[in-house]
Order: sequence, then structure tokens, then C-alpha cells
Amino acid sequence: MINQHHHISSESTIEERIIYLLADKDKGALRLIYDNYSVILLNVIIRIVKHEDISKDVLQESLVKIWHKSTNFDRSKGSLFTWLVRICKNSAIDKTRSRDFADRQKSTEVLDVVFVSDSLGRKSNDDFDSLKELVSELPEIQRVLINMSFFEGFTHPEISEKLKMPLGTVKTKIRNALIHLRSII
Amino acid sequence: MDTKEYIHSGVLEAYLSGELSEAEMKAVDRIVGLYPEIALHIDELRTSLNRYATATGKLPSEAILQAALNKIKEDEKGEFLKVIDESGPEVVIKRINVLPRWSIAATILLFVSFCFNAFFYGQMVDSRQELRAMVDSNNTLAQKIETVDQELTYAALRVAHFLDEDNVHIHLDGSEISPNSFANVFWNTKSNAVFISVDNLPEPPSGHQYQLWAIEEGKSPIDAGIFDHTLLVQELKVIKGAVVAFAVTLEKKGGTPIATVDQTFAKGFLKKS
Repeated sequence: MINQHHHISSESTIEERIIYLLADKDKGALRLIYDNYSVILLNVIIRIVKHEDISKDVLQESLVKIWHKSTNFDRSKGSLFTWLVRICKNSAIDKTRSRDFADRQKSTEVLDVVFVSDSLGRKSNDDFDSLKELVSELPEIQRVLINMSFFEGFTHPEISEKLKMPLGTVKTKIRNALIHLRSII
Repeated sequence: MDTKEYIHSGVLEAYLSGELSEAEMKAVDRIVGLYPEIALHIDELRTSLNRYATATGKLPSEAILQAALNKIKEDEKGEFLKVIDESGPEVVIKRINVLPRWSIAATILLFVSFCFNAFFYGQMVDSRQELRAMVDSNNTLAQKIETVDQELTYAALRVAHFLDEDNVHIHLDGSEISPNSFANVFWNTKSNAVFISVDNLPEPPSGHQYQLWAIEEGKSPIDAGIFDHTLLVQELKVIKGAVVAFAVTLEKKGGTPIATVDQTFAKGFLKKS
């Protein structure tokens, strides 16, 4: 169960703050989840649904479920992130079994490489520009690997097959790409 | 545990990309709980990915969060209305109860009507019984009045006989076989008519009747007539001669010409003037 008496302070981690707000039925929890985990959660959904628009719908449905099921969260059984991923995965699986999913699959091509930003306004332009500049320092292969693994929902074996690269190499290169990324931004 | 080796194993990247199963993720969670530096590393990786997403325009649309929040608001509104709905069953019951309420009222009225009917029927039966009782008592009274009237008539008649100066009054006392019996005989000296006033004679056995006899000295008793022992004063036969006594005997119904002397119930002698 959520620890209602959990102390929240400026030194608390994002996860602790979210847990505290969820227990307090504060919708600020969803804002924090969205700002900190939506990128990763959407990727988890895309891995299953393989369709950008449908994945966004699933993410939205997952947020609603997270809110309604927040009292079910038990931190003794795993981290908040693991719990969030489980809800998103289950929602995604449910979606692939739905009639709606089958209909939409027929009408739209399966996701290839997508993401046209619709959220540029969230950071100031200066911030955005400098970040963009920094990211451009990443080698092309690293950007491709980061995109495929963390934004386009490809599994490591899928990346290995697509890029004709051994599985072990894929894992190492993804890790190196992230280390590089972390070092620059 | 060598945390650096763990960090370099690539398992944390797999953890963040959703590559791991739930069981594997929970295994990572347990280690993260034990080693704060690993937790910190995961946080840094996540932050880097978010910054990368921002830089490359890969952040999910804000509209998704807003849509989710709107949906939650709708759900809460629905829940609120549901709660109101559920908390108002009395209203529903009241509405449903409109018809039964009339039925209840009608039932009560019907019941009251039954009660009144039963009450009035009871009263009517009582009244009928009372009426019957009154009629009965009326009849009884009438009979009594008739009897009393008759008795009065007889009494008046008897008094008249007593008062009549032409009458000779003879008191008949009970004999040995019926000491309690007695009667009075009036003999009119002008008309020679004989009257008997039956005062106390026992009920005669079936097929028998009392008979009055006039007795002259040295002669057989003269039949003075049979009489009904229930009638107080009766006029019997006309008797002439030197009668000295009168006697009542019990005879077979219809009477007899010769007195059964041993069945004499009462006997009285004329006073010598």
C-alpha cells in the first residue's frame, strides 16, 4: 500500500513525490508522471501496439487507469515505474485484442519511423535550440539506436535484425549511445 | 555486488526501454532498492531520454494528458451522480410506492368497512335476539297476565260466591290419603247450583279425574259432576235434597255413577243451621 505518512521534501525523488501525491489523490501526480515517464511509457506501448496514433490513445487510457487504480499500488512489490509499465503493457495488450484496433490497423499503415513533434512549446525556444544542437553531436547510428529502442518500440532482437547487427552488439551500442547522451545533455 | 558491472551490463537500458518482463523488472527494483547509486543512474538515464525527446520533438503531446484528465473528471462526475443515485433509494421507493399507497388506503378502508359490517351485523343479530327475547317475554307476560286475569276472575268469582248470601259454603278438608288437599264448595240454596273451587288437589294419575259427590244421610253419594282440577272455580250439577256433606273422589276419566269411597281425597260437612 502507499505510505500515507511518507515524508515529502525537496530532496525526495520524483518517484517518491509521485507516490505521495497519488496517495493524496492529487492530480499533480499525473502531471509529474507525464513529464517524467510519458516518453518511456509511450515507447513501452508502441512496442506492443506498433501504431503511433493508437499508442497515444493507449497512453491516455493508461493514465486514466493509473489514476483510478492508484490505491492498488504497493511499493513493497516493486517500483512505481514497474507498476506504471505493467498498466501500460496491459492496456496495450487489451487494445491489440479490441475490435477498434483491428479496424484502425486496416486503415493505417503500421508505424515505421514517426514522431512529428506537437509539443515544441513546452520548453523555451532557447532551451530547445541548445538541446537540439547538443543532440546533433550524437553520431547518426547512436541516434538511430536511441530512437529505435526508446521511441519507436523496437525490441533488441528486432533492432538486431533490422540493422543486421549481432544482438550483443546492439545492446552494447545502445548502452554506449545512452552514456554519450547523458554526457552531453 | 559490483554495482559498476551491473550498470554496464545494459540491463538498466533494457529496463527503461520496456525490454524486460515484469519479473525481471522487479528483480531490478530489488537491486535498485539496495544500491542508491544504481537508482541514481536510472534516474539520470531517464532524464537524458526526456531531454533527448525534448530536443528532437519526440515528447508526447500535452493533449494526451489533458484528454486523460478530462476523462477522469467525467468519471468522477459519473461516480458522483452514481453516489447520489445510490444514496437516494428512498425517493425511488416513494415513487414506486404511489400505487401501493392507494392499495394500502383501499385495504384499510375495506378492512374498516368489514369491521363496521361485522359490528352492525352483530348488533343486528343482537337486536333480533333482543327482539325475540322481548317477544318471548311479552308472550310470557301475556300468558301471565292471562293467567293472572283468569285467577283474578276466579278469585272474584270465588269472592262473589263467598259473599252470596244464598250460597252455602262448605270447606272440604284433605282425607287420610291426601291430608294436604282441600277445596271449597258453594251450594246455592235458591238455584241449587253447585260450584267447586279447587284449591289444592294433587295431579290425578293418567286416565283419572276428580268427581264431586253430594252425600245425604243413609243414602248412596249423589254424583255432583266431574271437574277439571286445574280450573279454580267451576259450576257443576244442580243438587237437591237433604245434603249433609260433599266429598271429592278420584275416579276413572269420564266419571262413575257409584263413588269409589276409598279414593276420597277431600270431604266437608255442611254447618248445621
